[in-house]
Amino acid sequence: MPHLSRRDFLAIAGTGVASVWLTASTDDVIAAARHAQTAQKFEYLTAADAAELEAFAEQIVPTDETPGAREGRVVYFMDKALATFAKDDRDNVAKGIKELRARAAKMQPGAKSFAELPSEKQIAIMKAMEKARHPFFEDARQATITGLLALPEYGGNYNKIGWKWIGFDDRFSWAAPFGWYDRDV
Amino acid sequence: MSDHTHPRLAPLQQATVQYRPDDEVDFVIVGSGAAGGVVAKELSTAGFRVVVLEQGPWRTEADFVHDELKVFRESLLTNDWNVSPNTFRKTAKEKAKQQPCLAYGRGVGGTSVHFSANFWRFKEIDFKEASVKGTIAGTGFTDWPITYQDLEPYYTKVDWEIGVAGAPGPYDPPRSRPYPMPPHPPKSMGVLLEAGAKKMGWKAFPAPMAIASRPYQGRSACVQCGFCLGFGCEVRGKSSSLVTVIPVAVATKKCEIRPNSYVRKIETNDKGRVTGVKYFDAEKKEIFQRAKAVVVCANGAETPRLLLNSKSNLFPQGLANASGLVGTHLMFNGAGNSVGVFEHEVNGYKGIVATRIVWDLYEVDNKLGLVGGGGFDYRFDPTPAQSAGNLPPKSPTWGREFKKLMAHNYNRTVNCFGHTSSLPVPTNTISLDPTVKDAWGIPAIRMTFEDHPQDLKLYKHFAEKGEELLKASGAVQAWQQPVESTNFSVHLLGTCRMGNDPRTSVVDKYNRAHDVKNLFVVDGSSLVTCGRGQPTMTIQALAFRAGENIAKFAKQHDI
Repeated sequence: MPHLSRRDFLAIAGTGVASVWLTASTDDVIAAARHAQTAQKFEYLTAADAAELEAFAEQIVPTDETPGAREGRVVYFMDKALATFAKDDRDNVAKGIKELRARAAKMQPGAKSFAELPSEKQIAIMKAMEKARHPFFEDARQATITGLLALPEYGGNYNKIGWKWIGFDDRFSWAAPFGWYDRDV
Repeated sequence: MSDHTHPRLAPLQQATVQYRPDDEVDFVIVGSGAAGGVVAKELSTAGFRVVVLEQGPWRTEADFVHDELKVFRESLLTNDWNVSPNTFRKTAKEKAKQQPCLAYGRGVGGTSVHFSANFWRFKEIDFKEASVKGTIAGTGFTDWPITYQDLEPYYTKVDWEIGVAGAPGPYDPPRSRPYPMPPHPPKSMGVLLEAGAKKMGWKAFPAPMAIASRPYQGRSACVQCGFCLGFGCEVRGKSSSLVTVIPVAVATKKCEIRPNSYVRKIETNDKGRVTGVKYFDAEKKEIFQRAKAVVVCANGAETPRLLLNSKSNLFPQGLANASGLVGTHLMFNGAGNSVGVFEHEVNGYKGIVATRIVWDLYEVDNKLGLVGGGGFDYRFDPTPAQSAGNLPPKSPTWGREFKKLMAHNYNRTVNCFGHTSSLPVPTNTISLDPTVKDAWGIPAIRMTFEDHPQDLKLYKHFAEKGEELLKASGAVQAWQQPVESTNFSVHLLGTCRMGNDPRTSVVDKYNRAHDVKNLFVVDGSSLVTCGRGQPTMTIQALAFRAGENIAKFAKQHDI
């Protein structure tokens, strides 16, 4: 996978930023983000569709001993994105959610949603979609990671859960010592 | 003039002198970046009336946010591919496809606003490597028409007028004055590089950086925010031309900075002299600014594009292009990279990009049969949202194990940047796309590029050596990044090369176009060879030298 060398510092698609979800106008994003932080309702997604995306995201970065994508409110990042700068992706997302439901019903006859399935079945469906290179899988995986690690004003990374996950402190102002190896310098 | 005693203390955006388009100013400078800012300062302080036309906006600290989505996906500080498309192909046998292939700073200060500020002088060998090591068939590998000694006084000007922090290293070329500022603290990554270098029998030394390590000339010292590469500096610690030479130029009251002015053509008369430039203002209205002379500093892609677009009866293959070389010999520098994970926290995200550097492979062993070489530094590339791309090969990309790995690795990862030379190949070019146009109707930049086979071997050598170095530093896990011919660059070099012979170069050794007496070109396009990875200091030294000489020629009525 390409890493961010100075030669390809803008080749960010493929390194965790969803290439199709994030071609945005700055004003749209800021306005959406400000609304996102207090919003409990969804601007674009239906509750049912949001539940599907949240279940998917929760398997990408699960809740275990520490918070995951659910607590990080990644689904609100996705909702805000689809309501504003990622309008062009609504069709692909709708198709992806439909696919999740179809595979859920096939795996567990009578199931009305992906979200209601037990975890192992959700993971099995996602692995199958990943193997089949279904475009929704990679887009939604990247959007989950991005939503969790971008600035909270975009709707995700609630309470800086994402930054705490990886150990990033947004102080933006540091002095020596920076890490363990220069502690004695 | 403001109340402040130093021009650099003034607000970044100010009312500047304003010239009317029909006023024949002494110089129009196209581009306000690393080179354009320096030339503007040199010419305006010499007393000339100067208009700087910058295609992007004039930003201030308030615009320099730490928002990776705005910066990398929305091109906040750089060319926006939605309105300024690129096309790319490997060779001229293919049709170029529309895809992003280059990025440069689009705004006052140019790329110097968001660069990593890694900053060093070329060494003596860089200017004469072809005659020392031999030319290479199929390339334009040749000596510069100037030597390191010719440029040394101007490197020194850059040190002091732009502001560079560093300390003497074991392989330094000669210098006439010391660094104006001491080096930045080493960070954990610097300590690790020193340890690894020692084991390899190499010598790590402080990386020279164009970032204030102390308050300097009215600017704040760096606060080590960790968001240098790609981002603007909100404390003016990074020594961009926006916060150094541009304010000095503006304070002369002879230099107008005219942002949102996209130059589309340089006009000439029937005597083969430049008469001014046509540009689009912020409302896309076309305006003609008259000038006695023009200096093009638009970067190594936009400069040849502008010259190629400035055809006329006297210049049917583009302005200053009698040699046919405008746009050719495109170079990027090269890289052989590796990644390592360490036992304890390195916290690479804190602080400036690189603090220690190793140059023992500046000229690789002759036994390898390769020309060129480079160096190593340890850095940490990804901002948080990009960090998933920095995990070891074959790592899980989602789920429980992925989550644990991200938590463990983010603060323990080091990216070893093996930066190298790359060869000037005449078929690697910037040209005008025959069909795709930008939002102003101007033919898009088409890049034709394939790395020379010997360069790919060089990059691979550096990836291997870098992995070895990381292990010598104590990495518990290390791996190489794949090496392949590139299709994207931020170093845009070589496309209007300097030389004594008008048949084999575009500009002479004072950056004057061979074919056009009152046209000068100085930016990354001027470079004959590309050095070992950091061209900006050399671009700025050339700009100081060109600026001084252009002023002299003008005073002698030799333009």
